[in-house]
Order: sequence, then C-alpha cells, then structure tokens
Amino acid sequence: MSTRILGLGHHLPPEVERAGVRRPIAVEPVGPSTLGVKAARAALAQVQLEPGAVDFIVFATMTPDVTFPGAGCYFQHQMGCGTVGALDVRAQCAGFVYGLSIADQFVRAGAYERILVVGAEVHSSGLDYSEGGIRIARLYGDGAGAMLLGKGSDTAGIRATAIHSDGRHYKEFWCEYPASRQHPVRMTVEDFHAGKHFPIVDFDAVKRFGEETLAAVIREALDRAQISIERVDRFIIGHVFPEVAASVATRLGVAPSRLNVPAARYGHLTAAALPVALSEEVTRGSLGAGATVCLAACGAGFTWGAAVITL
Amino acid sequence: MRNARILGVGRHVPERVVTNNDLKAYMDTTDEWIQQRTGIRERHFSDGWTGAADLGAAAAREALDRAGMQAEDMDCIVFATLSPDVDMPASACLLQDRLGVAGMPAFDVRNQCSGFLYGLAIADKFVKTGTYDHVLLVGAEVHSTGIDLTTRGREVAVIFGDGAGAVVLGPEDNAARGILSTHLHAEGKFAEKLWLESPASRSRPRVTEDMISGDAARMFPKMEGRYVFRHAVTRFPEVIHEALNANGLTPADIDLLIPHQANLRISQLVAMGLELPEEKVFNNIQRYGNTTAGSIPIALYEALDEGRIHDGDVVCLAAFGAGFTWASVLMRW
Repeated sequence: MSTRILGLGHHLPPEVERAGVRRPIAVEPVGPSTLGVKAARAALAQVQLEPGAVDFIVFATMTPDVTFPGAGCYFQHQMGCGTVGALDVRAQCAGFVYGLSIADQFVRAGAYERILVVGAEVHSSGLDYSEGGIRIARLYGDGAGAMLLGKGSDTAGIRATAIHSDGRHYKEFWCEYPASRQHPVRMTVEDFHAGKHFPIVDFDAVKRFGEETLAAVIREALDRAQISIERVDRFIIGHVFPEVAASVATRLGVAPSRLNVPAARYGHLTAAALPVALSEEVTRGSLGAGATVCLAACGAGFTWGAAVITL
Repeated sequence: MRNARILGVGRHVPERVVTNNDLKAYMDTTDEWIQQRTGIRERHFSDGWTGAADLGAAAAREALDRAGMQAEDMDCIVFATLSPDVDMPASACLLQDRLGVAGMPAFDVRNQCSGFLYGLAIADKFVKTGTYDHVLLVGAEVHSTGIDLTTRGREVAVIFGDGAGAVVLGPEDNAARGILSTHLHAEGKFAEKLWLESPASRSRPRVTEDMISGDAARMFPKMEGRYVFRHAVTRFPEVIHEALNANGLTPADIDLLIPHQANLRISQLVAMGLELPEEKVFNNIQRYGNTTAGSIPIALYEALDEGRIHDGDVVCLAAFGAGFTWASVLMRW
C-alpha cells in the first residue's frame, strides 16, 4: 500500500513592495495557521470532503502563531477538525518534506486514512527591514500550501522520500533568540536591541551546502522510487537562493522547462514553498493525473530532503 | 508489519536542586501551598549555557549505552521540546552537533506535554513501515530560563523543572510485544488556556521590547489552572481507555501506568477513576516538577531502575497538556 495525494491547495497573501522587492506578505496580524486554513480548505474542496473527514494533521512551520502551543493546534480549531491529533514539525526549510515523510509512515502503517499536511509561514513579522537587515529580509515571503493524503495503490502517490540533517552547521543559517539556553532569561532587552532575534544567513555556506546535497538527495529519492531523472515531469526545488536550485538542475541535466523554483517568484517560503508550487501547477493544469514530480528542499539546520510523487 | 520496541532508556537532570523553600527567595510562596496543589517538593534548574539539547545529549548517551548502540547507528533523531535551545534551527540539529553525528534526519516535535508521545508515535511508525531500524527519541526541556520567577508568575513558575529523557527504538518481530498502539489528539479551541504567547509570528512585529520586560511582558507561560485540571482528568482516562479498547484490554490488564507528570493530584484522580492501585501508577513529580516532554522518559527510566516493569508487562503511557493535546501509547514490555 502507498500514500496517495487526494487534494492540493495553496494561499498566498497579496504582494507588497518591501525591502525593494515585491513579496507575498501577510499584512493583517495573522499567523501561519490562518494562511494554512485557506490552503487546506482549497485542498478539501478539490475532493469535496469536509474537515471532519480528516483524521490527522501534520503542520510544518518555523514561524508558529505563538511560542506554544503549536500552530497545528490553532489550525485544527480554525478548520473544525474535532479532536484529531495535530502534530507540529520543526525542520525549517525542509519541513514540508519531513512532514510528508512522517505522514506517509502513518498512512502506510494503517494508523490514519486521511492526513492533512500543511506547510505555512509568516516570515515578514520576524524580519529586519532596516538598512542592516534588508539583505536577508528581502529573501523571504509568506504563504501556505496544503496536501491531503490518503490510502492509494502502489503505482501512484508517494513513491519515495529521503530526509537528512547535519546539525554541525547550525550556526550558518539560524536565529538565535529567544534562546532557552541563555540563563537566567532567554532574551533580554539588550539582546533585543542587538537584533539577536533576527535570522542570520552565511550566504556562501548555505549556497555551497545546498549545491552539494540537493543533487545527491534527489538521486537518492529517485533511486529508491526506481524512477529515472528523464521520467520526472517536474522538479520543484525549494532553496533560499533560486540560483542554487537552477545550478542543481543543470548538474542533474534537467532543462529549465522541467524545473520550478518557487523562491524565484515569491522569495523563500520555507516549509510552504513546495506545496505552494505544486498546488499552483495542478490548479493551472500544467501538471495532471499521472504526472511524476520530485520535490526537494535544503536549508537551515542544515536539513534537506526529497520526495518523489506520482499524481 | 513488524512492531517497534524500546531498547534503552536514559535520563539526565541538571545538578542543581531547587526546593520549594528555595523558591521563597524569588517569590511569596510556601512549601505547603505548592505540595498541596501539585505534590511537588523540588525540581532541578540548569545553569550557564545549558540548553535542551545539552540535557538531551546526556540522556541520549545513556539510552544508547543501555541499548548497546552508538549515536551513529541511529537512522533518525526525533526531539520533543517546547523550550528549544535557539529560535531556529530545531534542537534536534543541535543534538546531532552535541553527539557528533550527521546525515540521519533530525527534527523537532513541538507538541508540549504530549510531545514525547507524539514523537513516540512517529518513531513507532518509522520502524513499523521498515523505513528506519533505529530511532533516537529525546524529550528535553530547560524551563528555568522561561518562567516568571516572581510572585506575579508563581502559579506557573512553581510547577516547572528542567530535565531530559531519551529512548532508543528498534524493531520487534513478535507482534504481541513492543508498542501495540498509539493515540494522538488535540483541541486547539483551548490553545490559550495554557500557553506562551510571545514571540508570536502573528504579532506585527513578532518581538517588541514590551514583550520582554515591564508590566505587559508576555514571554512567560500563562495558565488557567482549574480549566486545565478539569480537562486533564477527563481526557487522561478517555485516551487510556481508547488505547485499551484498541487492544481488547481493560484497566485491570495494566501492569504500570506512567502518566505525564503534570500534577500529582491529576495522576491520583486518574488512577482512582481507573481503579488502579498505587503500585500500578508511577509518579515522580515530587522530585522533578513538570518537565513537559522530558517527564515520561524520565519516569520510565526510574520505573525500570526500580524494577517496576517486568518482561511481558502491559505498560501504558499517557499525557495531557497545552494545546490542548493529549495522547496515549500502549506497550507490552
């Protein structure tokens, strides 16, 4: 038995000019759960299912609505999904592939029949739009994508997933504060004034690591699925730097017509990037039933992963 | 489909013990008040630059040791916490760094008091499907840096302690042994009955000076205690019955119940409702306070050390907490 994609949805807030670029930005005071609800409703509408048909939720985000509880709990309440479990996964830019891999296990093990996997982010509220921070702030956008998973046959659905992490590089792409390891308090007014609650990106290291790992993890997932690069209709590659995705495609011999790089259009949507891009293509009709897609992402942690899916 | 089984358990708590009387230095409280309401006598607080991953790494090393395995043998690392070392990346990544391993997936589960059981359910499924053979699951918290240690914050601050527990999971071919079933729930309607608001990505901007200090500071958890208590004493038995029913068992079949250590009074009421005698329920909140994601593996470790779990025993783990989230896992040891 495998896990099938039953429905897909996405939501992008209107584009706003900020930090010299146009980005989808949630101007209203909402968190990722609210964006996720819009995406998930669209996914359910595709298969005419009610929220009550969902028996588990996997919510991937690195920008939760509040510090705790998880954004999945807020999402579950807004969706009206009763008292089903709502898991919050934290794996940064690779969060959606991780969430997909986890949900796939639950379906294959027979624990749940219909799982909503959501990747949603509100980055804009946590970025430094001042002169000193603009170089990083302009990299990001806000948005949400959702995928409804269910039981399927062996020839369609999730064909393979591969996920990895290398925490030795955690300081090359991170946001330090609040830091529970700082005693006696996680964040002081001094830390705030020093801007320690903003993300820090080592551009060169992040590019280098992405180029090294993405091609390898795509090959690994394809090998596991026993599908050749030529038979993949679309590669959707999530990386904070669009040029890294392009370079990985070149390395794999994938023509630009088979490549989708969400960061080139919206800025980096981290956990939302892959489901947004896939949902857009399905909505537009550029990918249909039977199409094979490879989703791959690499980012903070470092974490990275790939999934091969036949729609 | 094969089962998953716990191969080794580890625990680590910081050295410094803070008694109820010690808390008087920070706030207006008494040992009697705290014990009467929660059963807690003391907890451990960490110092210096100790984060959840540091406590977690020590617990993980012991769990690996007891399982007779090395960190590099792990195919996957799952880290449950609500007090991550840094804002991002996940504490699981820092744990890899502390253990000196890389390559295997590592991610955080952020499901509060039910985090360890959500993580256990995930680890179980990864092993069941054959995707991974060995999974390291850590539950660790450093609460002491994130609670309001003043009279204003006493109702919440006296409850929490720092600590970590870890388990190593591996495959079990006997379908009647190991993890028999897992049950996960949430009810986000009550998200703000026990929560920590800020930083909040839904705020514009996410972090402000007044969130950190002053009268409007909201970087500390808040709780409507009676509300949480009432729901806990309903959901605990409900989710324990769900696990028993799924396996055709009754409360009388439970050899040991290990409830998440949130409040001794809750555990006692749950045990009474299930008609479980005292020796069939494990509690150690008296010495640790509520260590959230750390509490169940710490309790499991001590139950094993005290000889309270034997081969073939039916062990039930159950949790309830912020979210609200609640969960149970039934195992045959």
